[in-house]
Parts: sequence; structure tokens; C-alpha cells
Amino acid sequence: MNKIFNWIKQGRLFDPTSGQSPSWMVQFAQSPSVLLFDDQLRIYFCTRGKADAQGQFVSRIGFIDVERENLFKIIRISKSPVMDTGDRGCFDEFGTNPVSVIRCGNEIRLYYAGWTRTESVPFNGAIGMAKSTNGGETFIRLGLGPVLSYSLDEPFVVGSPKIRRFGDTWHLHYAAGQDWIYKESRHEPVYRIRHASSADGVEWKKTGEDLIEKKLGPQECQASPDIFYRDGLYHMFFSYRYATGFKSKERGYRIGYACSSDLLQWHRCDEKAGIDVSAEGWDSQMVSYAHVFELDGKLHMLYQGNEVGRYGFGLATLAE
Amino acid sequence: MKWSKKGCVFSPGQFKTELSGMVYAQSPQALPIGNGVRVYFSTRTVDSSGKFLSHIAFADFSRDFKEVREISRGTVIPLGGLGDFDEHGIFPIHICKIDNKIFGYTTGWSRRRSVSADASIGLAVSRDGGRTFEKLGRGPVLTSSLYEPFLIGDAFVIRVGEVFHMWYICGKRWIESNTSDQPERVYKIAHAVSKDGISWAKEGNMIISDAIGPDECQALPSVLEYNGVFHMVFCFRDAVGFRSEAGRGYRLGYAYSTDLRTWKRADDALGLKLSGEGWDGQMMCYPHIFSLNGQVALLYNGNNFGREGFGLALLQSDINEHVKL
Repeated sequence: MNKIFNWIKQGRLFDPTSGQSPSWMVQFAQSPSVLLFDDQLRIYFCTRGKADAQGQFVSRIGFIDVERENLFKIIRISKSPVMDTGDRGCFDEFGTNPVSVIRCGNEIRLYYAGWTRTESVPFNGAIGMAKSTNGGETFIRLGLGPVLSYSLDEPFVVGSPKIRRFGDTWHLHYAAGQDWIYKESRHEPVYRIRHASSADGVEWKKTGEDLIEKKLGPQECQASPDIFYRDGLYHMFFSYRYATGFKSKERGYRIGYACSSDLLQWHRCDEKAGIDVSAEGWDSQMVSYAHVFELDGKLHMLYQGNEVGRYGFGLATLAE
Repeated sequence: MKWSKKGCVFSPGQFKTELSGMVYAQSPQALPIGNGVRVYFSTRTVDSSGKFLSHIAFADFSRDFKEVREISRGTVIPLGGLGDFDEHGIFPIHICKIDNKIFGYTTGWSRRRSVSADASIGLAVSRDGGRTFEKLGRGPVLTSSLYEPFLIGDAFVIRVGEVFHMWYICGKRWIESNTSDQPERVYKIAHAVSKDGISWAKEGNMIISDAIGPDECQALPSVLEYNGVFHMVFCFRDAVGFRSEAGRGYRLGYAYSTDLRTWKRADDALGLKLSGEGWDGQMMCYPHIFSLNGQVALLYNGNNFGREGFGLALLQSDINEHVKL
């Protein structure tokens, strides 16, 4: 699998703005994350209602269930968020986004970035964890605080978790803030992809290294490090953009690719990613937050489109 | 215990430094140097929005605390940059001397929208004998976690054998209050251990039993070992009404341990009460217990959380006298 991935775009799978979803789910369907059931596929994502009077959003986690045989057939849309936002003063008081869900034995775990609002810069983030005891309908936090937070060289904005288990070891790939930039009356963080490992998924040991070299210069932002193992290699599809002006097509998110034999040394080769913006339509300005999963022998990718997923996510399938 | 109060030994208002308009000298922390004692403390400036910023300064005293020999001209450690955990203040700093290296464990503050602030513990080292400190990184060494969700601060570190022990405080909850338009916090003393003083494993919180109910706030643990007994002096207050109502403000608490894990609370054994009047007549807080010229000494703040400075008390009795083993 050391060639260019040949992703065939299948189209948009879910559009939260189409008027079929509840009031807390009227725009954005971000960071799709798949949980496989015998007869269906559940796709968790982060979504938002209308902005408040100050123009600020609170992001919550919901899901859709789709037919296993036809992923475009939506069976059900979750009526309520799978968990509430955090208590006053907690790291996740003002939102939960993005999300990464995993099944391990009888247990379903959800890792997410929680958001708080701060004074000098607009926000801060840390990574939390919750478990479900009812088949993924709702989730309960393990505690009020985060499972992965700040450290000497990861001073703020710890987020974008992707949870994986390889062998007996839990792996969390995530983004950690390195700087805040103030430009054109806006504060924007610069963040890079990092890794931590754990025996139980609760107590984490950070690797403390930047995993992916930068391509767009010192202010490149990297996030959503989605990893799968195949043919003796770990494959990472991640997202990257400029730190400022990223709402434009030119400076917005794209999907990059890197491979590794040990999860620590990564070789970046975006030209192999095989997925880019379309000429027109819902994913013509941006593509990001890829999530690759295997289903019945085929590899699929869910990814979000324009305006970081404001109008939903779509599906691409690998041509073997 | 029998203490001899030596009164207020430092009033910040009488000195002019680069920290213009210096008010407060909070949370004194002693470092014996040469034939004197350096006392680090937190003082405050006001930023452009009218809010306080806490900075660390020091005063050098003679060993008998009768003479102030020098005041640091400015802060010994800069506040953090944009978005950092210590952007809006460092209060307090705890000095820990290990093998001739002087480490400073800071409590860094950053402001929040829905609550006033959050805090984490940072680490800095001095390469000039304690005059200035250099941070080991932009981020903290101890911060929020699953069961300690916010407000991590007030580190006090000693090394026992090969193990570093840190006592600190962690926030438990924010509660609504009738006496304030802002939510008030509840925080408790906690314990962590480390092999290198940098990477810490949390050992649990609420290690000191409450004396005034579940909303007791406990702060500034400081620990001194004497003949195998560890003595902890800290301060505690009610979660609400503590700014204005008599009897709800900070007072000194005390506990002792022989195994560094289980603590027996015995506030009455400390025997250090508010004065009838004067600078420590309404409040005693932010204690720091240390050994001075072979004697047990306690620095602490008085009224108004240390606005008027800090004072000294010297122990006149055997610190282990009340200990039941």
C-alpha cells in the first residue's frame, strides 16, 4: 500500500442544514467517528444549534445510524446529545468537539476535546473521556476533569483526540497548542500532532515529540490524526491548514498523509493522500477530519467539507 | 504548642520598587541564604483593565528578622505569555533547594469567562542564587486531571529519601453564593510524588479532614519534619462569606503524620490564634513553617489576605509534645 490512495468520492452522506434534524443539530457535522454494530453503522459527530447573542456556539455530540449495506440510508438521527456539556468551571463547560469513539470488549468509550472560554484568548481545550453502559446511546464522564491536559511543552489547546488500540496498548494521537497568534483582531492558536500511550486508556504517558513535519511554514496547524494499520504499516490521514485566514479556500483545511512502522517515526507524503477538494459543491473549498474505517473488506473514508463541516460530511471509498 | 509572636516583620507599602504601587506581600516563603533569610512573596500590580496581576518579589532579612537588607527591584520571574497558564499572575512561589539547586514551584493564574480564574503549578529554576528564575517550559508540571478538574496550586515540596513529595491544593467544585455575584470555589489539600521533581503522580486529595464541613476551603500546606513526625500548617476558611463575615475568613489549621500518607488533624494543638487587635487580629493565612537558627519558625499573613504584609512567630515549646504515636 505504498502508492497513491485512490479514493472514489461517493458524495455527501449527512447534511445537518437540510431541516431533518433537532434544534441542537442544525449546522456543522464534524469529526465523524464510526462505531460498527451487527446490522448497522453508527456515526458520531459534533454538531451545533444556533449561535448565542454573542455569536458563540456550543458544540455537542450526536449520531446517525445508517444501513450497513447502504451507508447513504439514514435509519435514525439521535434526538438528544449523547452527553451534556461540563459543569461550571470545568474544561468542557462550553463544548465537546471533536469526538473519537472506540469499542473494546463490552465497553464503548468516547474521547473528546472539551472547551472552556478564557479572557485573553478566546478559548482553551483539554481531552476528556466518557463511557457508555447502554450501547452508545448516552455517555457518562469518568470524572469532572480531563484525562489528558497541559504539560511543560504542551501549554494549552490540547484537543483533536483520535483513540486507537493496537495490541494491548492504547494510543491517543491528538493536537497540542504551541503558540497563539494575534492577527486582524483575532486570536488563533498554532497546534501540532502529538502522541500518548497508555495501558488502560486513562493514565497516559506523553511521547513529547512533534510527529509530523510542517509543510506550510512555522504557522501550520495540524489536527485530526486518524490512524489505521494495514499491510505492515500505520497510515495516518490528518488535517492541516494555515493558522490565520483559514476560512478561505486557499488557506483552509486539506487532508495530509503520513506512514510509519512504529507509530513514532512518521514519513509525511501528502501527495499519496489521494483526496482533495472537488471542483464544485459541498466539499469544493475544504476537506478535513478524515476518518478511515474498514467495513466488509472495503476501506472507507468519512470527511467533512466546506466551512469545517458546517454543511456536513461525505463518504469516499478506496478503489482496490 | 507555645508560640512567641514577633509581629508584622514586613509591610509592602514602605518600599519603592519597579513593581510600582506595590500592595500586598502574600504567602511568604523562606530560603535561608548566608547569614540571612530571603523571603519570597507575592505582590500585586494593576493591569489596564483594573484587575490585579500577582508577581513574585523577595526581601532579604537578617537572621533575627529585625533588619530588611535588600528588596528585589522587580519580579524574580516573568508572567506567562498570551494564553499561558500563568499569564495573569504567579501566586505563590514555593522555593525548594535540592542539591544546591534552587527550584521555584509557581502557581500560575489565568482568567476564565464563567468563573474568575483557573490555576496550575509550574516549575522554574534559578541559576543566580535565587535572584531570578527561568521556567522549565511554557506549560505546567501539575494541572487538572480526571478527579481534580481545576484550580491546581499552592505547591509545597520536600524530598524524603529518594522521593519528592508535593502537597498542593485542587479545586473540587464551584458553588453559587448569596454573598457574591461570582461563583465561589471549594478546594482541598492533595498529595503527589515524583522521582525527579518534574514528573508527578497524584496520590489523592482530601487528605486532610474537614473541620467546618464539606465546603471548607484548605490552602497553602507547608510541611516540616522533626524527629520522624511531619507537621503540616495550612489555612482554611468557609467557601462563602469569607471576605466580610467575621469567623468565616482564613485561620490556621494543623495536622501531623508519621507516614506521609495519613494525617491527623489537630488545629487546637497548633496553639496559634488571632491577636486581640492589630495586623493579625481578624485573619491569619498563608502560613510557611520552616527551621530558623535551629528553631521552628512560622511566617504568615494577617488581615485582608496579606495586604498589610507578613509576620513571624517562633515556637517556644517541643513541636512533638502533643503527638500521640
